[in-house]
Amino acid sequence: MNKETTPALEIDSVSKSFKEKRRTLPVLSDISLTVGQGEFVSIIGPSGSGKSTLLHVIGGLTRPDAGTVRMNGAEVTGQQGHISYMPQQPALFPWRTIEDNVLLAQEVHGPVSREAREDARRWLAKVGLAGFEKAHPHTLSGGMQQRAAFLRALLSPQELMCLDEPFSALDALTRSDMQRWLLDIWEENRRSVLFITHNIEEALLLSSRIYVFSSRPAAVLHAIDVPFPRPRREEVTEAPEFLQLKRQLSEWMREEQRKMQAAQQGGSRL
Amino acid sequence: MRSWWKNVWPPLVAVIFFLLVWQLLTSLFHIEQWILPAPSDIAREAAAASGGLWEHVWATLKLTVFGFAIGTAIGLVIALILHLIPFLKQALYPLLILSQNIPTIALAPLLMIWFGFGLLPKLIVITLVCFFPVAVAALGGLKQTDPVMMNYMRMIGAGKGQIFAKLELPYALPSIFSGIKIAATYSVMGAIIAEWLGADKGIGYYMMLQKSGYRTDRMFVAIMIIVVLSLLMFGLIALLEKWFVRWKPKQG
Ligand SMILES: Nc1ncnc2c1ncn2[C@@H]1O[C@H](COP(=O)(O)OP(=O)(O)OP(=O)(O)O)[C@@H](O)[C@H]1O
Ligand SMILES: [Mg+2]
Repeated sequence: MNKETTPALEIDSVSKSFKEKRRTLPVLSDISLTVGQGEFVSIIGPSGSGKSTLLHVIGGLTRPDAGTVRMNGAEVTGQQGHISYMPQQPALFPWRTIEDNVLLAQEVHGPVSREAREDARRWLAKVGLAGFEKAHPHTLSGGMQQRAAFLRALLSPQELMCLDEPFSALDALTRSDMQRWLLDIWEENRRSVLFITHNIEEALLLSSRIYVFSSRPAAVLHAIDVPFPRPRREEVTEAPEFLQLKRQLSEWMREEQRKMQAAQQGGSRL
Repeated sequence: MRSWWKNVWPPLVAVIFFLLVWQLLTSLFHIEQWILPAPSDIAREAAAASGGLWEHVWATLKLTVFGFAIGTAIGLVIALILHLIPFLKQALYPLLILSQNIPTIALAPLLMIWFGFGLLPKLIVITLVCFFPVAVAALGGLKQTDPVMMNYMRMIGAGKGQIFAKLELPYALPSIFSGIKIAATYSVMGAIIAEWLGADKGIGYYMMLQKSGYRTDRMFVAIMIIVVLSLLMFGLIALLEKWFVRWKPKQG
């Protein structure tokens, strides 16, 4: 098979329910999606729909009830260690310094070279964490911890990055800084990225394709290609097509939100 | 330094006040020395250090440290094995708890019968007292590992050994140290009990000797020494903990 055309990640008809005391909770319903080589793909969907669960399935933490996960053409369903991952909570290790935290994923896959360490320090400075290399995580703000966790994923040796709401704890300004900055490094390096977010504008700015998930059980409602050429500048957010897409996505999201609330009210009346 | 002093002076004042009241009452009511000696008598006796006191202290200290080291090591090994082999844990954990319901005081004479009056039965007594808090604390700490961090380690492909070394063990260290601190104070008690039952040196033996001579003042000296030894052991471990768990956020 040709490496250029084999997708970095292919999820084929994945379903998953959690069983709890006689009750089954369907969370993923027949999800199929693809991340091509060097593609930036986003997932947006209502809270509690099953996005994080999908990442757990991709990372081999949770076995799907049905369906397969393939990476670069090989089946990896239920196998761990194939992705670089940023969890929704930073999950930095409190006894490690920020620098050692950022290098953790590399360390798990082999000894850390001096160049890697210097590289990590340069990156820390780039994300505004200069001077915190030897600090412990509890001395950092939530946003700073999130940036460190993001770097840890960025510096992981695996090609495919799975990021679970990486910028959710940041204020609007830092967030837009980080977005622009992620856009730049991604356009430079072209790693394959699967990106989860609640922020429609963020998804439109960064992605080549967006999957819109329904409320739980999550199914792929829409898959839209984002047509804007690269390299993208932030000005693109003011283009009429951008606003058009944004309105469309907001409409879909609101609809899902309404459905979910209706379902919840129906559930509580029972 | 100033904040240290702020923590220390209230209990210090309380102790001094207590000793003063004690001193006053003994002289006010003319209490006989063999019933309750005054603090000043005890201090004089301690300063004289008669009856080979320091040799006894030294013997007890050696026994304590030795037994404590063995007990702690065995506690850690037991915790490790039970943690790594869940089936063994299921089978043996109840027995471990049960073993603590056997009173040491009752077990010690049996050990003397089986193993004689040498070092071995004494070390066994201290080990029995020490291993339990260490093993239980370590098992508890290893079990409580943060699930989010655990998921992260598994997702990035860390093996069992790496998860243990890089996550479970450091995560459990504070609990392990709290177990070791308890064991450190128990170890002195264990050594004294062991010496009561059959020894020719040590503070426990010294106490038995002075009791039969109605030397209440010397009994108090012995008690004081036991307290100081326990505090020393505790302080030593607390220092070690401070060094090993430097990363811990300070309370308050
Ligand atoms: N291990 C589990 N056992 C039982 N139920 C679970 C488990 N993990 C997740 N769930 C349930 O699955 C549903 C989806 O959770 P998930 O964390 O995937 O949502 P999400 O889309 O990431 O939400 P958010 O946007 O708020 O992060 C939730 O209702 C949750 O309660
Ligand atoms: Mg989530």
